[in-house]
Amino acid sequence: MAAFALIWWAASVLTDNPLLLPSPQAVSAAFAGLALDGELFTQSALSVVRLLAALLIAFAIAAPLGLAMGMSKRFEEFVDPVVELLRPISGIAWIPLGLFIFGVGQSLPIFIMAYTATFPVLIGTVSGVKSVDRKLVRAAETMGLSQSAIVARVVVPSILPALLVSLRLGVASAWTAVIAAELVGAPNGLGYAISWYREMLVTPKMIAFIAMVGVCGYFCDLALRLLAARLTPWAPGAEARR
Amino acid sequence: MTIDLQSVRKEFVARDGARTPAVEDVSLTLGEGEFVVIVGPSGCGKTTVLNMIAGLERPTAGAILADGRPVTGPGVDRGVMFQDYALFPWRTVAENVAFPLRFGPAGAGLSGAAIGDRVDATLTLVGLAAARDKYPHQLSGGMRQRVALARLLSYEPKVLLMDEPLAALDAQTRTILQDELLRIWGQDGPAASRRTVLFITHAIDEAVFLADRVVVMSSHPGRVREIVPVDLPRPRNDATRADPDFQRIAQHIWSLIKNEAYRAATS
Ligand SMILES: Nc1ncnc2c1ncn2[C@@H]1O[C@H](COP(=O)(O)OP(=O)(O)O)[C@@H](O)[C@H]1O
Ligand SMILES: [Mg+2]
Repeated sequence: MAAFALIWWAASVLTDNPLLLPSPQAVSAAFAGLALDGELFTQSALSVVRLLAALLIAFAIAAPLGLAMGMSKRFEEFVDPVVELLRPISGIAWIPLGLFIFGVGQSLPIFIMAYTATFPVLIGTVSGVKSVDRKLVRAAETMGLSQSAIVARVVVPSILPALLVSLRLGVASAWTAVIAAELVGAPNGLGYAISWYREMLVTPKMIAFIAMVGVCGYFCDLALRLLAARLTPWAPGAEARR
Repeated sequence: MTIDLQSVRKEFVARDGARTPAVEDVSLTLGEGEFVVIVGPSGCGKTTVLNMIAGLERPTAGAILADGRPVTGPGVDRGVMFQDYALFPWRTVAENVAFPLRFGPAGAGLSGAAIGDRVDATLTLVGLAAARDKYPHQLSGGMRQRVALARLLSYEPKVLLMDEPLAALDAQTRTILQDELLRIWGQDGPAASRRTVLFITHAIDEAVFLADRVVVMSSHPGRVREIVPVDLPRPRNDATRADPDFQRIAQHIWSLIKNEAYRAATS
């Protein structure tokens, strides 16, 4: 970290152009200023709330779909080609179309993030269902549980750790896409702030917001890890995480 | 409950069409309250027989009857204790034991408090009351074994099907659990209060110690080679193991299995 700051400082002295590369001191001052007047947090909160909304949507689509795909070979064969065709298309590729449909506003970044997060959650759920321990299902059968009770009481808890891991992957990729979406398609948020201060030629503030993207991403992941430790105290490594 | 296997055959068909004959012409009756033990070399079809009685596998030919009615699938009247415990890792000891009562038909009509009482009583029975809030991964092999036993006993199946339940244990724990198993089965009480047990093991001394009858199986394909009655008096205890009759029966079973192993090695 210190070495990074040192190289940055040296580079900024060599470049000698605060517009291109401001010094670490200038950026820190900008960061502090933005934090004090609250702008840093209001913009972050807007983006993070969008992230949460998008995660909820992605989860609501991907978890049931993945459950069905994992349990029925025929259903998987039916849906899988569509998934595999869409998956390589980055969420960012949909931004121009999204601008047509949604215009500038909340919907576009949420849509792009939900789209991006759906695939990791879907794939994590499908592979989770496929690796459910057959022995446990059989044990539940001998106890007379109905098929729906087996799904609710054996399959779902079995895949919960894998589901939470895939949710973290989903957050990571959705967070990458939100900035791109907000750069062009939102009236506020972190991505909007970055593009705003670029146009204003206030590079230190722009970099302060870029740094905030990293900070928010880190804390979202941390929150999910803590959630996983709470929800799945039996999973390997859960004790170390607490 | 009595279980009747009539000329049961089981063939596994792999995806590529290859057929594995697992069990051939097995006929066997488990009487009401009887403790029957199957011994035999690895791969002779012991688990297959047990799974078919449990309703987890279908026989290719022959019939399996429970109290005279054909077995068509799993049911709460036939409980299984799996070789590798099959505990639910996301549930604590007490929750594992409560599981069949809370989510299966065996607990229908029982209040939450009644289920709690049953769980407490069963945990005390197997000596696990202190570990009730631990997760399976926090337990030793012997304790997991007891949880699996408690979970099986909690919903009171009429037939207990136990697949090498003590195989993973050290000799000492194993001896202790053999004693406990007979106590729980009710060897001190009247024969009428006992449940029907089918128990699989590798260990001949364990088979003789527990069983009313020992079914010796041979492999390729799996068949019943001989059914050996064990008329040692009950209740059985440490003195039983020193009984000359105990030694004689164990020797006899060993000779049956030894011949089988010898033939397999030289053919
Ligand atoms: N699901 C299965 N598919 C194919 N073959 C199987 C299957 N289960 C068991 N077998 C085969 O059937 C035979 C008997 O197996 P099993 O009943 O597990 O024996 P044991 O419990 O006595 O060790 C073995 O040859 C085994 O490979
Ligand atoms: Mg076996």
